[in-house]
Amino acid sequence: MPAAKTAKKTKSAARKRAAPLRDLTRQLAEAAWADADAALAEALAEFAAWEAGEADAAAFVGQALRRAARKRGLTPLSAAGALEPYDAALHVLVKSASRPPARVKIKSPGVMRGGEVLAKARVTPVRRRP
Amino acid sequence: MSGWTLCIDFGTAFSKAAAAPDDAWEKFDPKRIRPLAIGGADGGRSPFLLDSAIFVDDDRILFGNAAVARGDALSEQKRMALKSFKTLLSVSDLDRALNTAPARSIDPHRAFTMRDLIVLYLAYLSQAVERAVANDAMLTGAGAAAFEFRYAAPAWRRGDSAGLHSHVMRLFGEADAVRGAVDLSAPGGVSIDAAKQALVATRSTSAPAQMGLIFEATAAAAYTSIGLKVDAPAMIVLDMGAGTTDIAVLARAGNRVEELLDAQVTLKQAGDYIDRVIANLALEAARLKTTGQQAELWSAMMRDMRDFKETLFAEGRASIRHEGKKITIAMKDVTRAKDFRAFETDLADAYEDALETARRYAVTDGGREIQSVAVGGGAAAPFIQAMIRTKPRRGGVKVTPKPATPDWAHAPEFRGNLAPVFPQLAIAIGGALAPREMLAAGA
Repeated sequence: MPAAKTAKKTKSAARKRAAPLRDLTRQLAEAAWADADAALAEALAEFAAWEAGEADAAAFVGQALRRAARKRGLTPLSAAGALEPYDAALHVLVKSASRPPARVKIKSPGVMRGGEVLAKARVTPVRRRP
Repeated sequence: MSGWTLCIDFGTAFSKAAAAPDDAWEKFDPKRIRPLAIGGADGGRSPFLLDSAIFVDDDRILFGNAAVARGDALSEQKRMALKSFKTLLSVSDLDRALNTAPARSIDPHRAFTMRDLIVLYLAYLSQAVERAVANDAMLTGAGAAAFEFRYAAPAWRRGDSAGLHSHVMRLFGEADAVRGAVDLSAPGGVSIDAAKQALVATRSTSAPAQMGLIFEATAAAAYTSIGLKVDAPAMIVLDMGAGTTDIAVLARAGNRVEELLDAQVTLKQAGDYIDRVIANLALEAARLKTTGQQAELWSAMMRDMRDFKETLFAEGRASIRHEGKKITIAMKDVTRAKDFRAFETDLADAYEDALETARRYAVTDGGREIQSVAVGGGAAAPFIQAMIRTKPRRGGVKVTPKPATPDWAHAPEFRGNLAPVFPQLAIAIGGALAPREMLAAGA
């Protein structure tokens, strides 16, 4: 059998084996989204109220958004005010610097799910003491 | 791999099911765990949850989500769905309880016994499981003979698990026969006449089902310890559900896990009790004048309680908008409430006693570690998380708290989608993963 044909067959077998896990992951996502959708809808309604001038609606937008995030397994990356060694994979500088800093202060946390970073934490360089 | 183990978690509010390969304990691979989409065709909120509910309508019987919806729609006419019937299995005289007639609000025709309705629901659940297996690409074609069936239950009846097990086997056996005699899966349910005929025709001919029984605490120990090198001889499981808070101590020797029944405690205060504490705090904060306004706020709190409590536990405070006013409750308000403090004291006393039993067992076994885990709807509550970190009054062992959602549920293959729903499916998954040695009663 030609090599190309064998590779094609192997690829298709691998895809077939992966299908049940893909189906399950889709259903799990659907289950997680069912709860998150309700929280997102609430956030949108509160956002509209905030735009219409209801001052305390901003707090409800935040509450509903954070709940939607938890329902989807999103977790904060770092805590505001924390000092950490700079890591370009986890941090984004609020203002660009000519060379990467050694340590940074977290201005606002990022977001991750499992081990995957979905939004980097915003940071500012920490100046070394003279 | 010779076959699959399928575990049904016949839950108070929802039923769930999961399957795992027979050799999952020895060759653990998270990718091969199959939570079953038993609620897929039911129209409920999640494909994995099937409402544990049955509604006796004018001339038909409705199941699952349709039963809940119909019960809610007719609540003002004092009609209701039969729900939480799992708790019936905890009574001491089960035969008598099963043969009683449900309240008129549940069965106005006086056509059924509690046993009949539970058998009909179990038949509906079995059909949903069968359908989910047929739709699962990894399980399709396995054939009924390839499955070993189990169900999970709390260790309610202490030493009498064999008595409970034989009753449940008969109920599932009758349900299997009913399932063969009448189709319950139609969206409009089944006619009362057809259901009665099926019950009468199959009662004398049905044989008990062949299923294993796994205690819920043991299932929690299974999903918590699988894939890890476990040295701790004892594990303490704190399970706060809606209606009860259960504490269990499990003794481990290799694959064998036994619940130390002397340490088993069930408290009547649990999630529903905390809900009432929170709703009372909201009433105090709102300072409403009329009982009508108070009743409205109470209903609003109860309607949103699941989300409110989730936020309160995760963030330490939560707010609700009611009649244009923002009402905020902080966790510290809850912990100061008199009713909560009484519950916390009872729980702490019971937990400390169970912890001492676990410590004694661990020391006798020559071990130096106790593992602890919180499960159920209240697992994320800060006071529950603090409790599972409690050290025993006497020394000699260290306590290692385990996360409610095990690390393997975050495996990259699931793309972050298993962990958020894991707590709902945990007992069914743990029950399917556990080796036979962990069963409280065999098939």
